[in-house]
Amino acid sequence: MSAPTPTRREVIQGGFTLGAALVIPSAPWAKLQETPAFKEEVRGGTLPKIEDRVPEEPAVAELEAIGRPGGDLRILMAGPKDTRMMVVYGYARLVAYTPSLELAPDILKSIDVEGNRVFTLRLRKGHKWSDGYPFTSEDFRYWFEDIAHNRHLAPSGLPITMMPEGEGPLFEALDETTIRYTWKRPNPQFLPNIAGPDPLFIYRPFHYLKQFHEKYADKSNLEALVQRANQRNWAALHNRLDSMYRNDNPDLPSLEPWILKTKPPSDRFIFERNPYYYRIDKEGQQLPYINRVVMSIADSKIIPAKTGAGESDLQGRYLRFDNYTFLKAGEERNHYKVWLWRTGPGSQLALYPNLNVNDEVWQGLVRDLRFRRALSLAVNRHEINEVIYFGLAIGGQNTLLPQSPLYGPQYRSAWASFDVAQANRLLDLIGLTERDGSGTRLLPDGRPMEIIVENSGESTEQTDVLELIRDSWRRIGIKVFAKPLQLTLFRRRVFSGETLMSIDKGIENGLATAGMSPWEFAPTTQQQLEWPKWGQYYETKGAAGEAPSLPPAVRLKELYEGWLAGSSLEDHTQVWNDILQIWADEVFSIGTVAGVLQPIVVNANLRNVPEQGIYNWDPGAYFGIYKPDGFWFEVPETAKSASASSATPR
Amino acid sequence: MLSYLVHRVLIMIPTLIAISMVIFTIINLPQGNYYTTYIAELQQSGEAVDLAKIQFLEDEYGLNRPLWQQYIYWAFGLLRGNMGYSFAYNLPVNKVVGDRLFFTFLVSFTTIIFTYVVAFPIGVYSATHQYSWTDHTLTLLGFLGLATPSFLLALVLLYLANVYFGISIGGLMDPQYIDKPWSVSKALSVLAHLWIPVIVIGTAGTAAMIRRLRANLLDELQKQYVVTARAKGVPPLKLLFKYPLRMALNPFISDIGSLLPHVISGAAIVSVVMSLPTTGPMLLDALRSQDMYLAGSFLMFMAFLTVIGVFVSDLALALLDPRVRLQAGRSQ
Repeated sequence: MSAPTPTRREVIQGGFTLGAALVIPSAPWAKLQETPAFKEEVRGGTLPKIEDRVPEEPAVAELEAIGRPGGDLRILMAGPKDTRMMVVYGYARLVAYTPSLELAPDILKSIDVEGNRVFTLRLRKGHKWSDGYPFTSEDFRYWFEDIAHNRHLAPSGLPITMMPEGEGPLFEALDETTIRYTWKRPNPQFLPNIAGPDPLFIYRPFHYLKQFHEKYADKSNLEALVQRANQRNWAALHNRLDSMYRNDNPDLPSLEPWILKTKPPSDRFIFERNPYYYRIDKEGQQLPYINRVVMSIADSKIIPAKTGAGESDLQGRYLRFDNYTFLKAGEERNHYKVWLWRTGPGSQLALYPNLNVNDEVWQGLVRDLRFRRALSLAVNRHEINEVIYFGLAIGGQNTLLPQSPLYGPQYRSAWASFDVAQANRLLDLIGLTERDGSGTRLLPDGRPMEIIVENSGESTEQTDVLELIRDSWRRIGIKVFAKPLQLTLFRRRVFSGETLMSIDKGIENGLATAGMSPWEFAPTTQQQLEWPKWGQYYETKGAAGEAPSLPPAVRLKELYEGWLAGSSLEDHTQVWNDILQIWADEVFSIGTVAGVLQPIVVNANLRNVPEQGIYNWDPGAYFGIYKPDGFWFEVPETAKSASASSATPR
Repeated sequence: MLSYLVHRVLIMIPTLIAISMVIFTIINLPQGNYYTTYIAELQQSGEAVDLAKIQFLEDEYGLNRPLWQQYIYWAFGLLRGNMGYSFAYNLPVNKVVGDRLFFTFLVSFTTIIFTYVVAFPIGVYSATHQYSWTDHTLTLLGFLGLATPSFLLALVLLYLANVYFGISIGGLMDPQYIDKPWSVSKALSVLAHLWIPVIVIGTAGTAAMIRRLRANLLDELQKQYVVTARAKGVPPLKLLFKYPLRMALNPFISDIGSLLPHVISGAAIVSVVMSLPTTGPMLLDALRSQDMYLAGSFLMFMAFLTVIGVFVSDLALALLDPRVRLQAGRSQ
């Protein structure tokens, strides 16, 4: 970025415009109106008036329709750990993605970025935690100095994403509402991480957590607390209570729209509206509109059935595309609508030839470009789409989706047409011309070419797709066997090189913009099924694994490092284009179909939920980027609100 | 008799120790521990994992120590009534189990009563009217119950109950009553939900019981004492209940041993399908996620109940049937 003096309106992240879309600090809003649910408490004096609860400069939400407050939103989840989903759905972030996938300040009033190195964060004056304590730069300092740099709480120091090239930032709290992080090198990952569905929380409620911190708490008091909680030491207690993401501590103050009120364990969790929430609508009503979120825990297998019986007002998680017809059948009777949103992975399922497989003959083959291309050409994507996804998905490589600004059709179509003849020609060229009696090609050492595709056995979908691939690969003389394994075992075998090929989800973020990290396309972590050992090598800085030995993989790694060092939109776009081109040419993973539809069940009275959306983890946070705090019930069901008001104290 | 009792009690101790070792070993047989499984799951769904925090927790709970040390830590905890810590729930195990035990008892006892009420009359009737068409029909029904996969029956009944009676799917009560204090409407809601699992779990057991009772009773009915009694003019019903039926009951008494743990664990699969707040699904989850203290302590509890149950059934059998008593005494 060449401009030496950035202004508040400066383009951050090289590409994301600030403010304009979501937050206009001077946007007009009508006089603040008291929330009906709080009127009683305000009159009784147990809760301050709305003017004293909302920040002086609140965030004003741009909503499709101004709503009316009230009602309970029922959702279904599969386990007690899913309380974290409310942090995902709530999506109150310092900086957040808008539905058009731009970064904009959310909790922050504004943010200034200089060359992806210096980040100046400005909080909203008068912003308060859900218990009424001010949210200030002190909360950032506490996390940075007393948590991230405390050897008991964080033995390995700052999170890796805050340490480009192993160096942490300089932290400055300029005043109550201004915080600055200064890195020596660019750290383009900082903001995307903060805006993630499981965000990098760089602040903590100091006023609450300090009573559990060695540095601030009275020693004997703290010891008593540790004893009572049956923990081993103060650090364990602090770690347990400090669950911003896990969201299992009802006492922990929060900035989210709804805060946990039920102490785990339970089969039904209540989340109540945050009286100090920072967003309002244009008429001066405080968000969220919905009073309570009621999360019922049920087994994941029964959730589609329960949803179909109208027991959820907003459900996407644990529904699968093959539940669609069943859900649709109950639409009328149970007063909900079923919408289909696109999913975000680059490929619903992709095959990963393991370039680090131990078997040397096979390793030579899978590292041969022609072999990978032949395998890809022999996958009948049209058939998979028609048979399993009713023809509603998009065939092609495991790469970005058309919704991404970096998308190019050539990346998706490269080596993805169904062409058995060319595939056979390529295999012949490699020299795999010998065949056994049944027509299976033979490896150079005489073994038949039998590929065992391992998977984590999560769903029958994987085996169904493999069944189809098996038929078409037989036509190029390759036999395929599917082998489901327990998840941990599956990954262990891939990591150690025992697995020749695996099938799993494609790249997670098919919607990437230039400002998002291309880590999934380069050997950066052991989790990558196509080159676990090369990824591990990068991850451990060479302590374990193997250095990448295939030139294109090395190039991808260099490009990734180039992205990390880049500070402008042009740099990042250039890197992305190069990466995508290499990725398309090299066919490191074999994509099937993408953009599979996700059924979303929405109560017929629930408003402001977009009919067409993207159901994605990151970016997206599932419903998060559509800001559920603005969802509202048009006709608050009398029965429901009656039961809510007569509810016994929790 | 007394030495028999003492012997039976003493032998329970090594049995339990052996069971605890087996349980602990088997739970730890899969590679990794709760946290590695947890990390794998998170990474699978694309969520980032704070490895430092995981490391912290692993050290905290000694998961990196040798297995035998972990075992001793756990076993001595158990002796002192400390069931250990559940990683998944972040709570001591005894707090996790909580009122799940009550609901498991409720479902299981109702099921057992349902089974008895249905199976006994049918069993007796089929035996006394062997090969009549009613016998055939009832037997067929019983077999149908046995052969229908219970999870399928569960789903069908859940769906029908929802469509026709408006009963919420799964669980043991309407969602708004969960975690609420007991009230009449809550109890009614529980009753409205209870019948499905009871029928589903019960049908499978009913068939087996009918067949067993029928077979036992048939054996007895052909014995000479029955013929004699009948020849002497004992009224048929009195005869039936006083002699052969009592003899046919022996197998049921010896069943008590397996009944007790069954009452606690419930029918895991059906409970999972119907999402009942019982202990079965919790145990299954704990095993799958390698939440080893929760799974281990719970299995240990069940093993303990089995041992007690077997003991009780042996006692009852000895009291009921002099043959058992005498033989037992002789073999000691």
